[in-house]
Amino acid sequence: MPTFTGYLRERNDDELVALLRSRPDLASPSPATLSSLAVRATSRSSLERALAGVDASVLQVLEAVVALSDPGPLTAADLPAAVGATDEAGVALVQRALRLAVVGTLVYPDSDDAPLQPSPGLAEVLGPYPAGLAPADAGIRRGTPPEPVDLDDLPTLLETAPAGARPVLDALLWGPPVGLAPSNSTAAAAAVDWLLRRHLLLPGDSRHVVLPRAVALALRGGRTHAAPAFPPPVPDDVPHRSHALVAAESAAAGERIVLMVARLVRLWEQAPPGVLRGGGLGVRELRRVASALETDEAEAAFVIELAGAAAFVADDGEDNPSFAPTVAVDEWAVRDVPDRWAALARTWRSTLRTPWLVGSRDERGGVRAALDPELQRTWAPRLRRAVLDVLADTPPGTALDAAHVLAVLRWRGPRSVPPTAAVQAMLIEAGRLGILGAGALSDAGRALLLETAPLVGAVAAADPADALAAALPPAVDEILLQGDLTGVVPGRPGPELDDLLDRTAHVESRGGALTVRFTPESVRRALDAGATADGLLAELASHSRSGVPQPLEYLVRDAARRHGRLRVGSASGYVRADDPSLLAGLVEDPRLASLGLVRLAPTVLAAQAPARELVEALRAHGLAPVAEGPDGQVVHVVSSIRRVGRRATAGARRRASDASPTGAREALTDDRLLALVPQLRRAEAERRADEAVRVPGTILPSPARRAPVPPSAPVPSAGTADPVDALVLLREAAAEKAEVWVELVGSHGVPQRRLLRPLRVEGGRLRAIDTARESELTVAVHRIATVTRTVPSAPQADDPQETS
Amino acid sequence: MTNGPLIVQSDKTLLLEVDHDQAEACRRAIAPFAELERAPEHVHTYRLTPLGLWNARAAGHDAEQVVDVLLEYSRYPVPHALLVDVADTMSRYGRLQLVQDPVHGLILHALDPAVLMEVVRSKRTAGLLGARIDATDVIVHPSERGHLKQVLLKLGWPAEDLAGYVDGEAHQIDLLEDGWALRPYQKQAVDGFFHGGSGVVVLPCGAGKTLVGAGAMARSSTTTLILVTNTVSARQWRDELVKRTSLTEDEIGEYSGARKEVRPVTIATYQVLTTKRKGVYTHLELLDARDWGLVVYDEVHLLPAPIFRMTADLQARRRLGLTATLVREDGREDEVFSLIGPKRFDAPWKDIEAQGYIAPADCVEVRLTLPDADRMAYATAEPEEKYRLAATARGKNRVVEQLVAKHEGDPTLVIGQYLDQLHTLAEHLDADLITGETTVHERQRLFDAFRSGEITKLVVSKVANFSIDLPEASVAIQVSGSFGSRQEEAQRLGRIMRPKGDGRTAHFYTVVARDTVDQDFAAHRQRFLAEQGYAYSIVDAEDLGLDTATEAGRD
Repeated sequence: MPTFTGYLRERNDDELVALLRSRPDLASPSPATLSSLAVRATSRSSLERALAGVDASVLQVLEAVVALSDPGPLTAADLPAAVGATDEAGVALVQRALRLAVVGTLVYPDSDDAPLQPSPGLAEVLGPYPAGLAPADAGIRRGTPPEPVDLDDLPTLLETAPAGARPVLDALLWGPPVGLAPSNSTAAAAAVDWLLRRHLLLPGDSRHVVLPRAVALALRGGRTHAAPAFPPPVPDDVPHRSHALVAAESAAAGERIVLMVARLVRLWEQAPPGVLRGGGLGVRELRRVASALETDEAEAAFVIELAGAAAFVADDGEDNPSFAPTVAVDEWAVRDVPDRWAALARTWRSTLRTPWLVGSRDERGGVRAALDPELQRTWAPRLRRAVLDVLADTPPGTALDAAHVLAVLRWRGPRSVPPTAAVQAMLIEAGRLGILGAGALSDAGRALLLETAPLVGAVAAADPADALAAALPPAVDEILLQGDLTGVVPGRPGPELDDLLDRTAHVESRGGALTVRFTPESVRRALDAGATADGLLAELASHSRSGVPQPLEYLVRDAARRHGRLRVGSASGYVRADDPSLLAGLVEDPRLASLGLVRLAPTVLAAQAPARELVEALRAHGLAPVAEGPDGQVVHVVSSIRRVGRRATAGARRRASDASPTGAREALTDDRLLALVPQLRRAEAERRADEAVRVPGTILPSPARRAPVPPSAPVPSAGTADPVDALVLLREAAAEKAEVWVELVGSHGVPQRRLLRPLRVEGGRLRAIDTARESELTVAVHRIATVTRTVPSAPQADDPQETS
Repeated sequence: MTNGPLIVQSDKTLLLEVDHDQAEACRRAIAPFAELERAPEHVHTYRLTPLGLWNARAAGHDAEQVVDVLLEYSRYPVPHALLVDVADTMSRYGRLQLVQDPVHGLILHALDPAVLMEVVRSKRTAGLLGARIDATDVIVHPSERGHLKQVLLKLGWPAEDLAGYVDGEAHQIDLLEDGWALRPYQKQAVDGFFHGGSGVVVLPCGAGKTLVGAGAMARSSTTTLILVTNTVSARQWRDELVKRTSLTEDEIGEYSGARKEVRPVTIATYQVLTTKRKGVYTHLELLDARDWGLVVYDEVHLLPAPIFRMTADLQARRRLGLTATLVREDGREDEVFSLIGPKRFDAPWKDIEAQGYIAPADCVEVRLTLPDADRMAYATAEPEEKYRLAATARGKNRVVEQLVAKHEGDPTLVIGQYLDQLHTLAEHLDADLITGETTVHERQRLFDAFRSGEITKLVVSKVANFSIDLPEASVAIQVSGSFGSRQEEAQRLGRIMRPKGDGRTAHFYTVVARDTVDQDFAAHRQRFLAEQGYAYSIVDAEDLGLDTATEAGRD
């Protein structure tokens, strides 16, 4: 039987690339040698990660292999029957699952007739009851070796069983195999007693009983699972949306979210809200945003979080910190709607932020605030991807609900089922962004998905922005102006018209069409921005088929008539006198030109120079002015637009963007993997050559290449194996239940050589049985100096004491 | 993507492009379930409201029809959430039914036990419901039938009232269709009402609501109680009924401040019913004085709150509400729905006008620039005085004179709110004045004289807002009003909308002081009519002389 490391070494390049691709954590950072790759592949954390990524059918196969390979041998041909696959589809499913398991080296070797072995360490990671079966050695540890039960006779034996016995067995049959022992002198207790006496149950601890693996398997008919785990079928009643509806809803949602982010930015550039001491946005500010955006708080939180993730708004880092738009937003705002949408959608795809948690309570009972730095979850982008992948795998137009998506995710990763609330939130958020339209994946959403994961053989993915642009209804450049001072654009307004209406009217409703109302305030706003009545009317008339109705024209002219009746300017000082001719002289005097004197009325001059300067200048001019009032200063407050600088922007973007392994995974190209594998081989070969010179035979790669080694060959002080190799050897030995020579360094620094049978390596500790001393010991891994594999045929080697 | 006339917005408004080929078909299709909100010249706005959808359910439409109509006529794909919402809302109506049980009497029957459970457990139904019979039925105290319906509507589970009506005392009433006949829309209104049992008929002023009432009475042929706004209106109802039906003067009683007659057909004023003495409504016995088979509410948009409470006890009788606008300034449309009944008939003003049953009207707002002295007085006045100051500006007298002169010879009404102002105007114009102080006898005399053409000018206060039939009036000049009341504006326009013998256009002027609250209120008042398609043009008072000149030149 080959060791795991040996098995790995014998893989060809393609197989290794496939392994690295299926388990990307093995490749980054790049391992130095194939041995260290083997160590990494058998480490608990990597196995956990690999198991998190396998679907239910693969998990079944792994459980079956772990459960059945122990007495073994189990071959690939036995597997379908073991997991209960009876029909062709089931067999195909199991074969596919086995292939995946082999590619990920969770199971080896792969030849058809060789018995299957679980990867070292897999059994520990799978948990104590693989496939709901008790450990094979259950009961051994308590010192009562199991009496052999004649399993062939089981049916006859059970016929004689008391009434309660069969239900007890049935309850434990498909796991978990441990049950609470009933209290004495009940009918159940009698049944359990009967079963215990016949060794159909074993005592666990004082209060529990265990169904032995052999009995369970016999009762299950030799199977580990009742039926193979097929992926959940799409329910028959799942709604199907027409392509036009999906496109329209997606485009409408996409346009809406772009608009909302823009409005948020506009709101905050005028009045940036303060940052809470904990780093988030206050509830009151959230409500303010919600009412300004005319939406609920949940959606407002989403918009804020999205803007935060895109680094469009950020903590400005002032002494009194507040959230303000960043320079990034200026660049974004000038692009057209599809591009702006694509930027937001990409941000959402990769962000670690979890907007749906805003408003919920954390462990300490505090309400989670929007933009709270704590609201990051590294799994968020992965889950988003997973959820959308489920939708992408259905025919276009299928609108799945959260329950079904969750069922599929549960099948795809039974070891890492996401929280229901998160899945629901992902679907809602995708809907808000228009990645879903009416619940089904839109073209734009599909393009967004394909962008990061080009399928093999797929045509070049469409640009998400183009896909959205295609879904947007054609722009309309006409407005129907009506006598009741409203206007309707029967479609999506073109940019020019949109801008005009934005300046001159209040929007009443948006959707398929845009309805606006002209009010004195809205027209005044346009006039404030520099428009004239004639210009405005001409512009409106140019977009209207039926001209401008009389009431609207009157409104505009009336507003223009009233506009500017009050004049406001700024001055720093003033001069007044009862004698107009004196003041006229001052205005005309070229020597006083620097004071910026302007005549407002015959007896009043405004000046650009402050009062003090005025007084001095006039005195120098031979006049005798006096300063008036406290200081006469006019403070003119101009609302300022705030921006966070480039550096802070970059920081915010970095913080919010994806730095998780999935991010790295996307960067793993086949080229890199193909380059990596030969590198590994070379390093491995060089190292082995080195070691062969120093300590021949310390590490024996595979039986085929094993050199004949004299039994007494191990040299105690030599063969200080690489700790990486040592761990591999220990894990392999644990899996094979083989013995190895281990050189331990005692607490006094004295090395000690012992022949051990490793049980388990985890958490930096080795648990092993010292066969010579018949005792179990646990040592920290860093105390192990060398590990040497014993030759199977070798006699029980030297006395360990000899070496100390 | 079709090229339909309808655009469905996600905020549940429907935009109907009226110039589109299919616009008329579409309007007919959506009218049963969508409320017309605005009907200006190009695009009419309808709104889907729960009340509107339940009205449609009450009229026998189901959600599938509604959805089909939207999909058929919509230009763009209809927002999916909106369709779901329509189906949800409509499915709420009728899950609870009020029915007569042979054993238990009036019961609330639920098609869905969970809904009944929710309703029974609600605090609001406490005291309205009796014992539970089983999972789907609960006894209702007959006296609480109206209250219960109100509460259920508020809870969002409007009940379908299938408990029927008492027949009432039979009394033969026939329409005397000699030389005239009910107009098609009036027939439809009567049919719509009678088929539904109880409900509201919405028709423009001047479109003959009284005849719809008479038609309903003839159909019912039972004793009838008619509730109207004031005594003059009561007399007009009486005259009209005598003229149009087989009823004689002796069969019609008037129950008002002046007279207390109870006859097979009794006309009572809201005021007398809501008169309280020592905290008790003293005239409530009228409601039980006879076994009425039909109760008619005139001007249902003005129904005072106490009448709602009394109506809640009248649920076993057929109820007909008549109004020109369901707009209530107090927002109690839902009480009208649950207590009087759903809307059974509605016709946009412009439609009736197009059929020639009401006169076309030209609405003009005349803006008057106040002289500097008045502006100063206005600018410094207390806020509560501002409207009065602006509304009664002296300059308006001159404008009214000019307008009256312009329409010399046409029957003209000058309508205002403030008595001082009206007195001055009456003096200026040398016209008679009718206010609340004018005796009923004198009012009748003046109205008769106006009808016969003896006098062509009449200055009236708000007493003339409603239910005064002055068929020949063709010019109305409004100088002041009750702040921003939209329905008052509509009612006042209604005074001049009876079709004229020669098909003349009616003129409706509003004189407004520029740059004051008067102007703001005027804008608000015009909302309803503007939404009904009446475009107001605005002229400056200074241009009036010029205007007259050009018009004279044209004539």
